Amino acid sequence: MRLISIFIMLFLTACSTKNLPEFRVKANTCDIAYTRYQATVTGYCQEAAATLPKSIPTIEKEIELRAIASIPEVFWYSTKMKYSLIKQEDKAPLAFVIAGTGASYQSSKMISLQKTLFQQGYHVISISSPTYSNFIINLDSTTDFPGVLAQDAKNLYGIMQKVYQQVILEDNVEATTVSLTGYSLGGAHAAYISKLDESEKVFNFEKVVLINPPVSLYNSVTILDSYLDMKEGGRDAASAMLDDIFSAFAQSYASQKSSAFSPGSIYALFKDAKLTDEELELLIGASFRMSSSDMLFALDVSYNLGGFIYKNHEISKFESVTNSMHRSHVVTFGQYFEKVVVPWQQESDPNLTREELIEQLGLKNIENYLRNADKISLVTNADDIILAEGEVEYLAEVFGARAKIFPRGGHCGNMDRISFVEYMNNQFQGTK
Amino acid sequence: MRSFNKLLIRAVTILLITLLTACSSVPELENNTEAPRVKLPAGYAEKAIINEYYDPWEGFNRRMYYFNAKADQYVLLPVVAGYKAVTPDILETGINNFFSNLGEIPVFINALLQAKPAVAAETFGRFAVNTTVGVFGFFDVATPIGLDEQNEDFGQTLGVWGIEAGPYLVLPLLGPSSLRDATGAAIDMLAFQAVINELGMAGEEELFLSLLSSIDTRANLPFRYYSSGSAFEYERLKILYMKYREIQIAR
Repeated sequence: MRLISIFIMLFLTACSTKNLPEFRVKANTCDIAYTRYQATVTGYCQEAAATLPKSIPTIEKEIELRAIASIPEVFWYSTKMKYSLIKQEDKAPLAFVIAGTGASYQSSKMISLQKTLFQQGYHVISISSPTYSNFIINLDSTTDFPGVLAQDAKNLYGIMQKVYQQVILEDNVEATTVSLTGYSLGGAHAAYISKLDESEKVFNFEKVVLINPPVSLYNSVTILDSYLDMKEGGRDAASAMLDDIFSAFAQSYASQKSSAFSPGSIYALFKDAKLTDEELELLIGASFRMSSSDMLFALDVSYNLGGFIYKNHEISKFESVTNSMHRSHVVTFGQYFEKVVVPWQQESDPNLTREELIEQLGLKNIENYLRNADKISLVTNADDIILAEGEVEYLAEVFGARAKIFPRGGHCGNMDRISFVEYMNNQFQGTK
Repeated sequence: MRSFNKLLIRAVTILLITLLTACSSVPELENNTEAPRVKLPAGYAEKAIINEYYDPWEGFNRRMYYFNAKADQYVLLPVVAGYKAVTPDILETGINNFFSNLGEIPVFINALLQAKPAVAAETFGRFAVNTTVGVFGFFDVATPIGLDEQNEDFGQTLGVWGIEAGPYLVLPLLGPSSLRDATGAAIDMLAFQAVINELGMAGEEELFLSLLSSIDTRANLPFRYYSSGSAFEYERLKILYMKYREIQIAR
């Protein structure tokens, strides 16, 4: 699988936003033709960016959850679970933030949430997604597979408590209240964690905001898998199309005046490349496949499953894992569900059917709770690509007045835009 | 001093050649292992040669990648942090501009070698304006007046001349490169050295300047080893580097 175009994009965006923050203000809108796929890939750049702090005083933290000696050598750099704290000077409300599929506590979407919440006067603790390698490797469990929301919530809830104790001890964090938010898969996690907290009562969340959550993991995963499917042509067609996308970017770059990269020039690059919806779908699908291959490899190593690697073989830190990467690229989220999640869940509960499990992996499973939990709000976009037909309406109906549905933004494309940040500011007042 | 340098270069060359060929990245399997259940995708072998970039020195490269990460962690990043702490932001930017300005010289030469008169003229204009009005390059006054920054090096020149990238190569401290680009970088460095020699500086001043230049380069590179968290970071950085060079050469 050739995922080059994605890499280039990641490279361009990663370098430019970190390197040239002063350009953000100047080039905060673009004139690319809007589609929901474009908004998902480049962000909803047609709307002006919100004013957020340029830098925040992030403290990189780590916590030992699993004995370091038991961590496989190939993940030598991943001992201890990493997270971050952004601390207010004085006593203040605290917000936990949970990342989306495959994302770390420091992904770009996490950073814009951190800035938003910090600006509102919150201490912010950011936790990686249970689908992120560092989380999987450090999870002290041999039975829980990421994506099973109730189990993920239980693990997250436990980790949040340990982390909370740690920041009190090490950083003298004084929290007046505790709130919770998360985007994408992290939004679904937040819903389940909130439900768990009703009975456990450790944090007694003041406010919970679900950002662009999936309604049914199975539906969302099926949509994302299909983007890389390319029906008749199969993998060769996908490869050929990725090459075309890459040449379009290369040509566009060659025609630019300056060789420097800035957000403005990246928007120009996208505009010139004139990607079709199908090509944008492919980029999204490829990017999700990369996350899933990271996740699957970490699981394979951690649980000695022998899927992409030799079973009972300890991979040394200098050993090539390129072949394992190629193996993992052919596996879809769907196959992971059918071949790993279903059998594993059935092992612990033989009466569980596949259909029942699909039901469990989503928000419908806790619908009654969501209907009546006043502390929970939902924000999403009417054209979010991960929602199947009828799911936007479902969310609007279940959350009623507590739902905010923006007409545009694709999947999480508007998280650093004016109207979204304004919505968040209203939700997180930080006064109590 | 000269002969010592020669000796050092020779020793390093021999060491590199030995290391390049000696290290293996192939797994040594225990007795009770079982082959992976998921098979390699069909057509992988031929696709691997065309698209995955030639990496015969993977064993060496992976070790060097690890070495660089450790050097970063224990030496470079702490030095950069100290540098940032003691240097006011405006001076930091000034120093960065100063070195970028010196860097215009190889860009200019390489633009000429690639027969790109427009790029060469723009770069010359930048150098002239920034060296004079910009006080020896401390201020970048060229960009605001529409003289854009260009990026050329001898590796790209070789690429434009039709020389293939050759094997992927992770260089000590400098990181991702290829046989062609490493050769190019060495020649650029020699050219740069010639310019420095023209300035007639004393040994210590020269050393200080190159140290400061290295710190400045690292300070302005947002990359952190292993920060993607992915087990496949080595592979992805390789493809990213090679593709990035392709679009630079195509420009």
